[in-house]
Amino acid sequence: MMSYYQAYQPIIDFFLLNLGFAYSQQVALRAGVFSVATAGFGALGAYASAILVTRMGISPALAIATATLVGTAVGFLLSVPLARLRGVFQAIATLAFVEVIVSFLYYAEGITGGAIGINNIPRMVSTPALLAAVAAVMYVTWAIGRSGVGRAFDALRQDETVAACLGVSIRNYHALAFVLSGAIGGLFGGLQSLYVFSIEPGQFGFGFMVAILTAIVLGGRGTLIGPVAGCAILALLPEIARPLAENRPLVNGVILIAVIIYLPQGVGDGLLLQWRNRRSARRARAIEEASRAVP
Amino acid sequence: MIAQQLINGLVSGAVYALFALGFTLVFGVQKLLNLAHGGVFMAGAFIAYYAVVSGVPFWAAAILGTLGAGLISVLIEIVAFRPLRARGQAEFAAIVASIGVDLILVSIAQRVSDTKVLKFPFGTFPIEFYRFWGLRISLLQIMILAIVAVLLAALVFYLKKTTFGRQVRAVAINEKAAALLGVNAKAVYFQTFFISGALAGIAGVLIGLSFNSIQFLMGEPYMLRAFVVVVIGGLGSIPGAVFASLMLGVMQTLSVAYLPNGVSEMIIFALLFVVLLFWPNGLFGGAGLSAGVGRR
Amino acid sequence: MPSLRLENVSKRFGGLTAVGDVSLTVPEGTITGLIGPNGAGKSTVVNLITGMLKLTEGRIVLGDEDIGEIGPEEVVRKGIARTFQNIRLLPEATVLENVLIGFHRHETASILAGLLNLPSVWREGKALRKQAEALLERFRMSDYADLPAGGLAYGHQRRVEMMRAVASGPDVLLLDEPVAGMNDVEADELGVIFKDLAASGMGLLLIEHNVRFVTKLCPVVHVLNTGRMIASGPAEEVMRDPAVITAYLGKGQA
Repeated sequence: MMSYYQAYQPIIDFFLLNLGFAYSQQVALRAGVFSVATAGFGALGAYASAILVTRMGISPALAIATATLVGTAVGFLLSVPLARLRGVFQAIATLAFVEVIVSFLYYAEGITGGAIGINNIPRMVSTPALLAAVAAVMYVTWAIGRSGVGRAFDALRQDETVAACLGVSIRNYHALAFVLSGAIGGLFGGLQSLYVFSIEPGQFGFGFMVAILTAIVLGGRGTLIGPVAGCAILALLPEIARPLAENRPLVNGVILIAVIIYLPQGVGDGLLLQWRNRRSARRARAIEEASRAVP
Repeated sequence: MIAQQLINGLVSGAVYALFALGFTLVFGVQKLLNLAHGGVFMAGAFIAYYAVVSGVPFWAAAILGTLGAGLISVLIEIVAFRPLRARGQAEFAAIVASIGVDLILVSIAQRVSDTKVLKFPFGTFPIEFYRFWGLRISLLQIMILAIVAVLLAALVFYLKKTTFGRQVRAVAINEKAAALLGVNAKAVYFQTFFISGALAGIAGVLIGLSFNSIQFLMGEPYMLRAFVVVVIGGLGSIPGAVFASLMLGVMQTLSVAYLPNGVSEMIIFALLFVVLLFWPNGLFGGAGLSAGVGRR
Repeated sequence: MPSLRLENVSKRFGGLTAVGDVSLTVPEGTITGLIGPNGAGKSTVVNLITGMLKLTEGRIVLGDEDIGEIGPEEVVRKGIARTFQNIRLLPEATVLENVLIGFHRHETASILAGLLNLPSVWREGKALRKQAEALLERFRMSDYADLPAGGLAYGHQRRVEMMRAVASGPDVLLLDEPVAGMNDVEADELGVIFKDLAASGMGLLLIEHNVRFVTKLCPVVHVLNTGRMIASGPAEEVMRDPAVITAYLGKGQA
């Protein structure tokens, strides 16, 4: 049992890291914010904690807390100007944000190590810490779903005008979505850099964005279970068959196209919705029969 | 010296224009971003390369690359975009699906090229330089400028003067109304995707030739630059994309020449960010879609 | 409850006058009618009141507060709710969830409490659920609570939209063609609910095509044509006005 766990530990750990980033991406999409900024938040968190730990000898817990704070603050700052934009323009602006961050990391060699990155990071994060962080993020995501915040997010995503006419503050809730996305992204960036030994700017570029987006599209944008489903499938696919592992980008590409066309809600959300619809169809039939019984 | 940089900048800007025109054309007609455009660009270069190494003369290989990229682009329309348009609300879905297509194209190219950087065989295109007024310009640069000028003129003529161009504009304004007036929207999409892909393909061939380097990831930086260009020029606007491309080309050459290494990237994307915030419809106005919100 | 007053309200788009110099009052506890042919500017009036469009001229006053310059999010907090001419529900959400979002402006639990799922949130959630269920009961929609709103029949969708507007607890309710596409029986059922709401003190502005329905419910009717108010007064009187008949039926019929 123990050796079984050891063999799969890296897969589990990377699954947990990706899951964290996926929730950061999801909270933005859930509120109708078309952001791909998660990669930027992750990069800032990762570099913040790596620099604090390697250069200043700060404790890992404090470094990760700082990474989270950095993500939160940048998420908030980003939300202020981006309140003016919508849709693809918001997506392009957040993409520009990520590219600015990445090119800064390349440029500022004195602080970030440039293209080589930071390579002497001790591993200070283990599976239990990752589990705890994922649990915390899932708890908040779950809580959002049960509260007025979740209702406001869902309303904004489905019809912004209607939400505004019911008093939902677009500006405040979009800002909140950015802040949450930034906090979660920063937190997992911090965790990642204290797990993987070395970081470099390239790992937070376009490829990172695509990977996280794939997980969310595959899993689902609206529910707690969505990111888990998406990340789990992506982690397990290469384990199922070697060809799948060797052609990972190809497989991801096919998944993206197939899912967005045939199962636009994603696997997790889609199944949940189907279950709900089946239940409600039964309910509707019952109502109809009852109304027929009373002439 | 500055004048030399200006020329070099204009040439690379001209290639950006070819790339960005196709991207902004698709957006202008259907308001969707095609993120596989970089993959199509790369495919054009690949097709031309493999044609050249199997003995096809360069000019024919370039045409093959252009047509091949156009066909791949049409395939993208059929496989990825059409099903989404049929469902409506395709803004997010189209981004996702086209990223998927890009991943597929890139990994096929990686397979085919065995992750190597490919180079056209020596002598594919004559290396000749002309000097005048103390400036140096290569035959290749002249050819690039000429091709871009001709294609641009042809595109403008096509869109402004032919029946098809009127149909494209009708579909861009309102697909349903255009269909009621007898415009075959499907044909319009086919043709815009083909033109868009062919422009990307020829851009790929020219870039592969001028840097003498073709590799599976070559589309990505151009894709990212296309965002800069089409936003500054106004998403969906053709003259805007051309001006912005030339501007970006010059800016980039100058900043590479006079600024510390790596700053140019940062400036370009910071510029993109700032333009989006203050002039979301582009510096020249006339974007095809309202960018933001606000009460009228 | 405060009443709503429009004072010489105008809206121009470029050179086109969509609404010109319109004045009307929606007193508390009554249903005021606003009728007019297609394109008369009725929906523009609603969009101006709710802050979705900016005024070109004039004042919009609720009680004694000028609300002409504020956006939609603020307007609803001042106590004005609306429905949409082309129904706009949250299609993925259930009927109950659609109604719950209507209570948004009354939610008091802090955002932080929401993120941590503190007791204040679930207490409030429970209370809101109870209120929403009472509303469903009142609109006779309880059976549909858990069905996705997007899949309901047309008449039921209209009801959901109205429940959502009522849930926000407005002083003034703007109904943009609420019985369009309904038969007389269904319309009259809703009429009873409207009278009920008015009896509770709410002021209703009923924008309609269905003249029969409006004359039945509204003591005062205003008629809009090409952006101008062409008649105002008791329903029977207004309907006999030659200008109104011309506007509705075209010249030569009067």
